[in-house]
Amino acid sequence: MIAPPVIEDAELLAFAAEVGPSGPVAVRGGGTQWHVGGAPDHGVREVRAPSGIVEYRPDEMTVCVRAGTTVAELHAVLAEHGQRTALPDGSGPFGSRSSTVGGAIAVGRSPVTRLGNGHIRDAVLQLRYAAADGRLVTAGGPTVKNVTGFDMCRVLVGSLGTLGCIGDAILRTRPKPEHEQWVQLEDAEPQTVLRTARTATAILWDGSVVWARLCGHHVDVEDDLARLPASSAAQPPDLPPYRWSRRPKDLYCLPEETGRFIAEVGVGVVHCERPDPDPPPVAPGVAALNRRVRELFDPDRRFNPGRSVERL
Amino acid sequence: MSESLGLLGLEQAERDSCVACGLCLPHCPTYRVTGADTHSPRGRIALMQVVDEGIAPLTEEIVEAFDSCIQCRACETACPGDVPFGHLMESTKEVVESTRGRAPWWLKLGLRALTRPTLLRIGSSCLAVAQRLRLVPSRRLGLPDRLPLRRRALRATGDDVWLFTGCVMDAWQRDIHLATQEVVEATGTTVRPTGDAAPCCGALHTHAGLGDGARKLAARVMSALDGDNAVLVNSAGCGAALKDYGRLLGSDEARAFSARVFDIHEWLADHIDEMDANPLEPAIAVRVAIQDPCHLRHVQGSHMAVREVLEPFVSEIVELDDEGMCCGAGGAFSLVNPQLALDVRDRKTEAISRSRADVVVSANPGCSMHLAAAGVTVRHPMELIAEALRAR
Amino acid sequence: MKLRRRTRADGAGQRHDPCVAELIRALGADRVRADNAARHLASADASMFIDGAAGPVCFPDSTEHVQAIMGVAARHDRAVLPRGAGTGLSGGAAPLGDPIVVSTTRMNRVLEVDVEDRVAWVQPGVVNLDLTKQVASSGLHFAPDPSSQQVCTIGGNVANNSGGPHCLAYGVTSAHVLAVEVVLSSGEAVVLGGLEAEPSGYDLRGAFVGSEGMFGVTTKIAVRLTPDPESVKTLLLAFDAVSDAAATVGAVIASGSVPAAIEMMDKRCVAAVEDFAHAGYPRDAAAVLLIEVDGPRRGVEAETDKVAEIGRAHGGTVRVAADEQERALLWKGRKSAFGAVARVAPDYYLHDTVVPRSKLVEVLEAVYEIVDRYDLTAVNVFHAGDGNLHPLMAYDSREPGVNERVAAAGREILEVSLAVGGVLSGEHGIGVEKRDFMEYQFTSADLEQQALLRRSFDPHCRLNPGKVLPSAHSCADIASLSAFKADGVWG
Ligand SMILES: Cc1cc2nc3c(=O)[nH]c(=O)nc-3n(C[C@H](O)[C@H](O)[C@H](O)COP(=O)(O)OP(=O)(O)OC[C@H]3O[C@@H](n4cnc5c(N)ncnc54)[C@H](O)[C@@H]3O)c2cc1C
Ligand code: SF4
Ligand code: SF4
Repeated sequence: MIAPPVIEDAELLAFAAEVGPSGPVAVRGGGTQWHVGGAPDHGVREVRAPSGIVEYRPDEMTVCVRAGTTVAELHAVLAEHGQRTALPDGSGPFGSRSSTVGGAIAVGRSPVTRLGNGHIRDAVLQLRYAAADGRLVTAGGPTVKNVTGFDMCRVLVGSLGTLGCIGDAILRTRPKPEHEQWVQLEDAEPQTVLRTARTATAILWDGSVVWARLCGHHVDVEDDLARLPASSAAQPPDLPPYRWSRRPKDLYCLPEETGRFIAEVGVGVVHCERPDPDPPPVAPGVAALNRRVRELFDPDRRFNPGRSVERL
Repeated sequence: MSESLGLLGLEQAERDSCVACGLCLPHCPTYRVTGADTHSPRGRIALMQVVDEGIAPLTEEIVEAFDSCIQCRACETACPGDVPFGHLMESTKEVVESTRGRAPWWLKLGLRALTRPTLLRIGSSCLAVAQRLRLVPSRRLGLPDRLPLRRRALRATGDDVWLFTGCVMDAWQRDIHLATQEVVEATGTTVRPTGDAAPCCGALHTHAGLGDGARKLAARVMSALDGDNAVLVNSAGCGAALKDYGRLLGSDEARAFSARVFDIHEWLADHIDEMDANPLEPAIAVRVAIQDPCHLRHVQGSHMAVREVLEPFVSEIVELDDEGMCCGAGGAFSLVNPQLALDVRDRKTEAISRSRADVVVSANPGCSMHLAAAGVTVRHPMELIAEALRAR
Repeated sequence: MKLRRRTRADGAGQRHDPCVAELIRALGADRVRADNAARHLASADASMFIDGAAGPVCFPDSTEHVQAIMGVAARHDRAVLPRGAGTGLSGGAAPLGDPIVVSTTRMNRVLEVDVEDRVAWVQPGVVNLDLTKQVASSGLHFAPDPSSQQVCTIGGNVANNSGGPHCLAYGVTSAHVLAVEVVLSSGEAVVLGGLEAEPSGYDLRGAFVGSEGMFGVTTKIAVRLTPDPESVKTLLLAFDAVSDAAATVGAVIASGSVPAAIEMMDKRCVAAVEDFAHAGYPRDAAAVLLIEVDGPRRGVEAETDKVAEIGRAHGGTVRVAADEQERALLWKGRKSAFGAVARVAPDYYLHDTVVPRSKLVEVLEAVYEIVDRYDLTAVNVFHAGDGNLHPLMAYDSREPGVNERVAAAGREILEVSLAVGGVLSGEHGIGVEKRDFMEYQFTSADLEQQALLRRSFDPHCRLNPGKVLPSAHSCADIASLSAFKADGVWG
């Protein structure tokens, strides 16, 4: 007979117990994106999620990892089997070496390779978190494909820890490509690069120079290089600190206020020197729905008080 | 094989063979235009099931679901499970007709006329005169623009094959028979047109649920066309009906008869090598779109032969991008369900204009008249081939 | 689990329904069907489940129509059930109680195609394959390709977060939906997600995808369009043993290849499919794999060789489709598999579990053993690349006692799948058929959190009540259903 599942993981249960059923609390990850959505109120009790790799199954292309592990550490282990995840590990122009798996998921911002590797939310298969009543909850499941029940994982990714405290995650891994390199293209139209380069996982543009990250079979990257305008091997540019969110086609008519900018071509994220003066508005109905979610999951607003997923 | 029959006289195994997967839905012209499950093959089968089992009474809406079926049998081709939709619907229509008398009086009268060739020809000549005097709205009635006033006679040239001439087609489109005869003879085969002895195949009767009438006609046709010679048919609807006599009458004799029936394209594909003029050229310079009559594509499955025989004679053949969706004519369907027929036809005429063809060919008189009424130039493949032969 | 019943009380007349007049006033008479024929057909989907009976069936063609329906439902405290093409396999669109049905089949227009940004706004009733056909000339396609893609609607795909053979490489529906316009049970229409890179707030778009009609009715969807690959190769691998085929799947994945699709069919499935499609599938093989590799040209050639090599090393024979026609025919065969089961028996019941790929052999052997033991016919056809099994039992529901055997065998198959670390559903959803098994995968705390998400969207539990969450977790659902006696539309 099948019995209802029981979580026997002592470390996770201890984490949930530490979060407890009451009182304001915030999970501290690497602290690298602490400002996103506003820093939590002063004096809030901080807890740390456990760290370490629980189970890595290279043949299944999945890994179960504690939320407190840094993405860099995780990727170092996966690299031994020629794999990695879509999470930002600080090796490229985005993210930091000290950002944690839990933090990356809670903030929900994909690295510049989103064009080719997809949004990080699509790499999260299962999350175990402490809910507002202190109980340990499983969202999603361990397999690479799963529609059992409502998609709680998607809601938690990018929730800035306001709905639950993430203890661990099962992530989808992907094989590292046979070949990868950044190239810099002068005098290239970003749209043309987007249409032509079949192996590009990232295309960046600062208004005049285009950088592309080409990944795949050696021969395919070669073919792309032959198809594209003249290019040279290069390092990707540094990203200015502020993040604007636009439609991909709006990248070509950005306002003056950006200062120096780096745009993610085909995605629509723009890294700018100044904050977005004119962010896309949130409709009242959607704002109300966001508030209702927060109220139902965390009625006492004990998680990350002061932080909010809604732009102010 | 025959199990207990329910109220609609359906065989239980056939009736229940549908697993309700829905893969047939997008191929059904009526579902495509109305989006209603009652207008879908899966829905119609589910309704047959509840009526046959005595769960549901035969309500007005259920009868409408059956009546609105064009019986194009696209669903049958699409069904991976081999559900015999055509037979189920024919049996259903027959029971519905006998218990409720659904066919309108004018349709029954019209169908009776089909079996009286002289009457039909006189009637149609009267119509032709009326047309020329602009007394009838031809387009609205779906009539050919100019019905023939006089018909050139068909003459037998020998006894190698029968050419089935049928009812409406003989009265309205005899030129197609003449062209067909010309093409067949070009292969060195002699032809005997069937003429008034075998006046009508009975297809329209079967569709309307008038099974007895259909069976009587079948017997009459078979006795008129005895012997072993092949029976060639240039109307897809008639061909399908003649090929189905075996099932309709259930006798060995009928099965043997059906085995002698060939669609003209199917037959010609096997005999095209016998034409003198090989290699065949030059082709006439037209871009031809092929409209597959449902009774050719879904029932006889010989629509590829049309392409094969036409290819040497025309410069370009284009396929319509609607995967052989019905044009909405459906024998007498367009007379009984005019609005639905027009909505279905609109999809077809849109596909035709997308194809940018000079001319559309159709191997069924019902389809060509229905399309011609929408202003489309439609020819029979045999007419184009005859024209090409004459040009050589 | 309740399987389709074949007997019901004899035909009574039309039930009086107070909503009908109001619906007709709001939508017009030609957009409301209250007759028993229409209601009967809206009472089932492609699953074997039937229990409730649809109330009036509405055919809106705009967001405003759907809002009006929601208003009528609120005034009469009536449940609302969205319905697409009705090809769901878990009873998602099969009503419990007597809800007002919102059929989206007339909301079938592609509203806008933006080739530059690779996005299309579509109405929910657009058929999946129709969208792909419409954008084909721009070199784009809609990547989620359920085997039912020629008929299922994009609204249904969104509600079920549907997958398909090519989701192995391209991801399931959720990864291809940028925004949804949703009419909530309050009657309000909101747009969740957006076309910009990072819409602010919680990912409510992501929450809505896969909500099985219980969070709202989607009336407009912005989907991502994917560029067609430069090159595609399709391999057909035949094996003498199911275990060799399964081992090949594991080896291909472990080799670091991510083919676009890896599908498996067993011998019985091949026979049924071949009878219909005549695609040249080998009837004597114990199992076949259909593997597709796509991407830039030269890499595809290398990958094809690699996959073929692995297949041969596991004792398989390999055929590569020579041209587009052969390839299309092979896929036609694969995609008609469920329908072709009609050739085996008139009914089927299937599960949709996902297991770790390394457990495929073990679980498949157990499935055959279980189904044999219950004297049913097992047919296996599934998305092997991501371990998504569709163990299918073909049977004839007229046989006495067969429903109980099917139910018992189904339960054992679930046990085996969950025991090796699998999940209940990979793509068909939970609906009502798998609802009562949810407690085997989730704890009560897990389910309560899911119920909270539902309540955030639909505090009244008006939308498609009684699905997904087992009774103890589905708020007011059960109260609104108990008043109704399930005896079919002619009951
Ligand atoms: C032969 C066959 C093969 C299949 N293959 C696959 C496959 O490979 N992969 C796969 O994932 N599935 C598959 N399925 C299952 C099914 O086709 C999918 O689940 C499909 O997405 C359902 O779409 P539909 O339009 O038929 O929805 P329906 O069955 O009508 O509805 C499904 C659910 O969606 C909800 N819904 C529908 N429209 C809306 C809307 N506008 N707003 C909110 N909710 C809505 C309904 O309430 C219901 O809960 C297959 C089914 C069949 C019969
Ligand atoms: S015969 Fe034609 S109209 Fe009738 S159900 Fe089948 S596809 Fe639809
Ligand atoms: S008729 Fe065939 S294709 Fe249509 S639902 Fe039934 S089994 Fe499926």
